[in-house]
Amino acid sequence: MTDLVTPSPAADTAPSAPARSAPGGWPWLKWFARRIGLAVLTLWLCSVLVFFATAALGDPVRAILGKDYGSSPERVAALQAELHLDRPVIARYVEWLGGLLTGNLGNSVANGLPVGELVGDRIVNSAVLVIVAAIVMIPVAFGIAMVSANNRGKRADGVIQIVMITLAGLPEFVVGILLVALFSTTVLHVLPAVTIAGGGAPPWSAPGSMILPVLTLVIAVAPYVARIVRSSLLEVLDSDYVELARLKGVPERVVMRKHALLNAIVPGIQVIALQLAWLAGGIVIVEYLFSYPGVGASLVDSVRNSDFPMVQVLAMVIAAVYVGVNLVADVLSILFTPRARTAITS
Amino acid sequence: MRQTAPSRRDVLKFGLVAGAALAGLPGCSAVPGRPDPGTPPVRGGIYSHGATGGGLKDTLEPYFPVTNPDISRCMQLYEPLLRWDPNYEIEPSVAESVTPNTDNTQWTVRLRDGVEFHHGKTVTAEDVMFSLATVTDPDNTGSGGTELATVLELNNSKIVDPRTIVLQLNSPYAVLDQLLAEYTVGIIPTDFDISHPVGTGPFAYEHFVPGQLSRFVRHENYWDGPAWVDELFIYDFADDAAKVNALLAGQVQSIDNLPNYLAGTIEQQGASPLVSETGAWVPFTMRVDVAPFSDVRVRQALRLIVDRQQMIDQALNGFGILGNDLYAPFDPAYASDLPQRVQDIDQARSLLRQAGQENLEVELVTSSAVGAGAVESANLFVEQARQAGVTVRLNKADANVFYGDRYLSWNFAQDFWNTRNYIPQVATSSVKGATYNETHFEDPTFTALIEQAKREPDPARRRQLMHDAQEIEYNTGGYIIWGFKRQLDAYSNLVQGLEPHRYLPCSNFRFSRASFVRQP
Repeated sequence: MTDLVTPSPAADTAPSAPARSAPGGWPWLKWFARRIGLAVLTLWLCSVLVFFATAALGDPVRAILGKDYGSSPERVAALQAELHLDRPVIARYVEWLGGLLTGNLGNSVANGLPVGELVGDRIVNSAVLVIVAAIVMIPVAFGIAMVSANNRGKRADGVIQIVMITLAGLPEFVVGILLVALFSTTVLHVLPAVTIAGGGAPPWSAPGSMILPVLTLVIAVAPYVARIVRSSLLEVLDSDYVELARLKGVPERVVMRKHALLNAIVPGIQVIALQLAWLAGGIVIVEYLFSYPGVGASLVDSVRNSDFPMVQVLAMVIAAVYVGVNLVADVLSILFTPRARTAITS
Repeated sequence: MRQTAPSRRDVLKFGLVAGAALAGLPGCSAVPGRPDPGTPPVRGGIYSHGATGGGLKDTLEPYFPVTNPDISRCMQLYEPLLRWDPNYEIEPSVAESVTPNTDNTQWTVRLRDGVEFHHGKTVTAEDVMFSLATVTDPDNTGSGGTELATVLELNNSKIVDPRTIVLQLNSPYAVLDQLLAEYTVGIIPTDFDISHPVGTGPFAYEHFVPGQLSRFVRHENYWDGPAWVDELFIYDFADDAAKVNALLAGQVQSIDNLPNYLAGTIEQQGASPLVSETGAWVPFTMRVDVAPFSDVRVRQALRLIVDRQQMIDQALNGFGILGNDLYAPFDPAYASDLPQRVQDIDQARSLLRQAGQENLEVELVTSSAVGAGAVESANLFVEQARQAGVTVRLNKADANVFYGDRYLSWNFAQDFWNTRNYIPQVATSSVKGATYNETHFEDPTFTALIEQAKREPDPARRRQLMHDAQEIEYNTGGYIIWGFKRQLDAYSNLVQGLEPHRYLPCSNFRFSRASFVRQP
């Protein structure tokens, strides 16, 4: 541990990370490096799967041209040259991976524009949608779970449980349709039905048009999180140390907040991570329904166009979101679990 | 109705219909009624149109429109020399007149005076020559230039004065005006640049994001009267539900290709359907050179098996016009005097018996890629054929398979076609060497009649030749043409000026004539 403790005047004033966590810093670093390494390995395996699954499935040129394949041999030749189909598949993979790492994502075969330019804005738009939905969803889900756990066995809990199960059972597009009918087309006319911002400005330039997509995602995801958090809360509330806290006369509100919630948060983090990762792909339908300018529609469109460079990049983005979100969730879970923390440092 | 588990689409349908039904309840907020027909148009406002489909393949190219939104954009930016009017008859556009000589080998184009491009330049004969050269470029022939390239001799055509051109053809061609009226033969200036496209249309380019939207502003000096609205947005919609919701929520003023089942319900929600006749068809295609279809009796039997009205009612939700195994219904030469073919199972059985095919078994290849009505009509055909003892195996192919390697060589399949007049349609589908001759039809007598018709300067005689040709197809052709689609679009009751049009959807995308009914 001594190598990390480099006494310097700056270390005392600026609470830099190595200095403060000096006693446990090295194992943490090692642990973190291993997790990152695993994540990178997972992504690499994904890249192999994505590339070979898209490259090995039939003749991409035929898939791209469809009805015109037979009638325009010049376009066939041009596309073959553009996709380097004459070269061995391994060489193509290495080149593609190199491009991916250096940010050279290739050109879309549907319209010849660089993939990065085509998906950049859309990835940002989708990310904003998911993040806003998560920011709204997490407190809502925890709040519901706490109310529900507080009233365990009472009528309020029963009603909440039934509503949550019903909402969890509704596919997100049904929720979306109902919300649109309710707020924009049929009953009330107060909110925009689709997210079409004028002049190509980002969706958040017209925040009103984002309300319904966000609400749909929140309703689609919150019930799962709320149910898991509720059941782990109940488990903690039944535990000996909570009982002891109560016997010591700690008020129920404080018991709930300090003793129960903090301990029930770990399963919550895990399920939130799972749901957010699911959103990365599951957002497709919601984006369709609201004509939201995100990755969902381009992914479907690219698959339909057999636009391999686009599909490959979008698949890798979604894989990266999965891996990234799970990595963050694991780190947070460890930080919130004292036993796991000690296991790493000792 | 077919018995299948409800798909996402079905649920969406239900949601839309249920939503629409809710609107009928009292106490719901007021929706605008249909405007009084006498309401004067209002100048100004931003008009938004929801176009169906589109995606990353979207382009502003004048000669290579791919998707439906591309076509709608082409109609704003560019204009051909001639154009189709609402009745699918030709009227002058950028040209004042296009007239043939006596044997149809030379056509004289006289340009309208003072037609202006969006960047202010006046259209001249050079621009027209440049446009025609670009669209027929042998290295990169535009979709509207394929047929044009086979007849036009641009090197021998000449500019007489800045407003007059004489186009020289390599052989007599009686319907050159029809080729020049297609939206894919728009006139562009000699300094055309696709990064800032310029044409003579009612709206000028402003902004474009493939797969998402495009924005246009009014062309103030438009020769046919400047648009009522200041700006036009065309949004891409991948999903029908989103498109309809956007219309009902007032975010767009019109949409094209409204799902048929919604025609009745949107009327209670402040919008009106716009129904147009079209010459678009989804035929069954039988290869006339492969057994059992090489026997004309088998082909005629299958044509007699079809209950055409049932197909229109069920596959097109009633939005169709009866077909008689002939195409080009709007052509003045359409053989409407030939008796309407109706289902006749006894006659079909007897023809099959004569052909020695009493227990005929065939495979029918269909695909959802063929478009609305295709898979539905194929399913109906399976049932209708059973009545005549014909067993049809349905092969529902994936889009890439259907339009893949074996496209144009399936023995018995389907395809889709849009509105065309007779001669251009024959050239693309029914003679030897035609690009999309699914049925491999190449009757020498038929081809001779068509060649004669192309040369014939006298309209009455030409009509007779085309009629004789249609009779051959009626008696021996490989198409089963059971109907023509009706086009269904919709617009908000807050706008007016859209009218049924036989050529392209949504009033031929002529948003320059659309206006708000009150100041927006």
